[in-house]
Amino acid sequence: MTTSAPVIGVVGNDVPRQLLLALGARPHRLTGSWTGAIDPDAAQLLGATDAVVARLLTELRSDAQPLDALIVCNDSQAHLRLFYVLRATASTVPVHLLDMPRDASEPARRFARFQLEALAAFCAAVTGRRLDAASLAAAADAEAAVGDALRRLRARRRADPPLCAGADALDAMLDAARLAPSEAVARLDAARAPVSPGAMRVHVTGSSHPDAAFYRELESEGRCVIVSEDHDTGEAAWLGEAVRGETTEHVLEGLSDAHFARVTTSATTSGSVRAAFTGDIAREAGADAVAAIIRELDEAPLWDLTDQRDVLEGIPFISGRVTPGEEIDAARDLVRELVDAAVSA
Amino acid sequence: MSGQGAAAPPRLESAAAATAFQKEWFLSLADRAREGEPIALANADAPHELLRALGIPYVVNQWWSSIISAKRAAPASLAAVAAQGLPDDSRQYDVLPLGAQELAAELAPWGGLPEPRFAISERSGDVTHKIFERWGRRPGTETFLLSRTAAVPAPAGWWDRVAHDWEDVFGAARIDLLEGEIRALAATLEQRVRRTLDLGELAGIMALANEQAEWNRRTRDLLASARPLPVAVTDIIPAVMVPQWHRGTPWAVAAARRLHDEVARRIDDGHAVCRGERRRLMWIGRGLWSDLEMYRSFQDEFGAVFVWSMYLAIAADGYARYGDDPVRTLAARFVGLTDLLYVPPMSSSWYVKEALAHGVDGVVHLVADDTPAPGVITAALEQRGIPVLEIRASNADPRATGDVRERIAGFVRERVPAAR
Ligand code: SF4
Ligand code: SF4
Repeated sequence: MTTSAPVIGVVGNDVPRQLLLALGARPHRLTGSWTGAIDPDAAQLLGATDAVVARLLTELRSDAQPLDALIVCNDSQAHLRLFYVLRATASTVPVHLLDMPRDASEPARRFARFQLEALAAFCAAVTGRRLDAASLAAAADAEAAVGDALRRLRARRRADPPLCAGADALDAMLDAARLAPSEAVARLDAARAPVSPGAMRVHVTGSSHPDAAFYRELESEGRCVIVSEDHDTGEAAWLGEAVRGETTEHVLEGLSDAHFARVTTSATTSGSVRAAFTGDIAREAGADAVAAIIRELDEAPLWDLTDQRDVLEGIPFISGRVTPGEEIDAARDLVRELVDAAVSA
Repeated sequence: MSGQGAAAPPRLESAAAATAFQKEWFLSLADRAREGEPIALANADAPHELLRALGIPYVVNQWWSSIISAKRAAPASLAAVAAQGLPDDSRQYDVLPLGAQELAAELAPWGGLPEPRFAISERSGDVTHKIFERWGRRPGTETFLLSRTAAVPAPAGWWDRVAHDWEDVFGAARIDLLEGEIRALAATLEQRVRRTLDLGELAGIMALANEQAEWNRRTRDLLASARPLPVAVTDIIPAVMVPQWHRGTPWAVAAARRLHDEVARRIDDGHAVCRGERRRLMWIGRGLWSDLEMYRSFQDEFGAVFVWSMYLAIAADGYARYGDDPVRTLAARFVGLTDLLYVPPMSSSWYVKEALAHGVDGVVHLVADDTPAPGVITAALEQRGIPVLEIRASNADPRATGDVRERIAGFVRERVPAAR
């Protein structure tokens, strides 16, 4: 794939990148940011919505990001609302909603297939290419290589002591979701950074992180290192997953299966599944403590806390709610609480 | 006769009758449930007609929530939610019934809701499914979740088409999904209660629901063209909503007709909520309808009356569905019902239509946390020269609505000139 491939912006975590790659597009995940201005018009249009999504709309309305098209996933109310606003205000680029169902019933599988086909048709109209078995296979190879690089990064984070700090790892994963696959592999493999010995190993859950600012703050004094997370811009991002099949049909079927098999954002997952996911990853990563960081107006993760606490029995579990403008203070409080909790544990 | 503070007009008989019926109905349902009859707790947008056809009595989550609030059991219910480690400042309205299950019978409204055998909801929003997940963990309760697809397509001007052309208005694929899930739910429920769904029975229920919707349509049309406003909005709401929860019964059709006839009679008798009516206001969003005084408090100073609420209007335009296959038609009733109220351009075009039909001079738009793109609705109205006051009411913060009266008074004074 060349760097001149049409760029398709992606909001949310349900897009099978392999499909976009096979159609000759470069997926570019858009996540917003922890800090930065919110255009009053964007805030007004969205109503009460997670500030990160309001910043994302601000960015989209300023056309700062040159995109050929945009896909928005119905994986949270905030994202869905963003789509409705873009549709109602005549966005400058073509916008498509990917509406994947959550329970793998027969009718839901049919609807998921319909959604993936509509997604492919939308992207094909942008790139002028058609899906075929050969391009899907090439895209599978490219995306699988990203998956391998992600596993290598994960192993470095899990090492004792870790060979890569959480903020650097998150930066690399966010970049990888924006680069062409070969560049993404290089970017992921380059993510290694010294971690101060003796730092507490922390697993992060709660809201997704639009950038690494919060991680950086948590790790800034060297008392904590984030070794894993289960939110959907980090390790739960749908990145590096590829499906092989003899025909286009088989691949679409496989992508649909893969969609239903994964655990993704809190808003779409039951409390029990999400809590089990948190517990599995935190234990596997050898976390000393778990921090749930939950942004104001991102309500779903609040409902997971009590199940997570049960599952994590024996591992200190701290939660903090973050209001816009108070991110830094919230991060500092969390570090203090984490250290205290570890001491008393 | 401005400024005389006239006594409240006599309450609509239909409203009083509906409210009385509702309490009796609930008490007898509770008795039957305590004797072992399986009942369901259903969210407002769940396919109630299926439960009715299967003979499973159901209580609507949002209605029960309103009773819990009205009986002042909300704080204790939220405390019970918090005691389970769950947030008490998120989706309060949806979670009150879950908390109220923990209250002692003497503290619970009307003796409390017996444990439902089934809890059924569509996956609306980020949290409803998690609340219903909790219901499903209660001993004896089984939860069923239905998919909730997004509003694609979302045609403006849907109200003339939705009763018949619903395949086009909502899109066949979305209806396929919900229809498939309703069929699967029906099969499971049949097995649980050892009954068989009679499709003829379901078709009859759907027909009654359509009849009810047609009466609501006529009532809304009467109120749209009546000058001055003959009946207070706060009276219309219970008279529409209680029958809505009994949709598909002869009683509900009769209640909708009774409301229509009573409104017609009041118009014939020249009844007026405010004889000095000079400004007609529309209230968009969930109401603060428990505060009746609030709604009357702009009459004396401004001759301003609230003439519209979404409850009658959506009952008039949103529910009727005609079709040959009752299950598919039922799916079409619920597949995008809430989107009609909230998603532009379906919502915005409809509010404009209703505002024009009712001769509205100004709009108060209560924007809740879960209102998507409120700005688009506001802009659509203002483009038609109808001033709008947006009030942000966070579910998490009831104080946000504390100064509502002053803000509405200021809005009317400054932006809504007397039309008459
Ligand atoms: S049946 Fe009702 S909805 Fe259908 S065309 Fe006649 S009046 Fe309109
Ligand atoms: S409510 Fe209307 S009619 Fe009654 S006293 Fe006040 S202004 Fe006059």
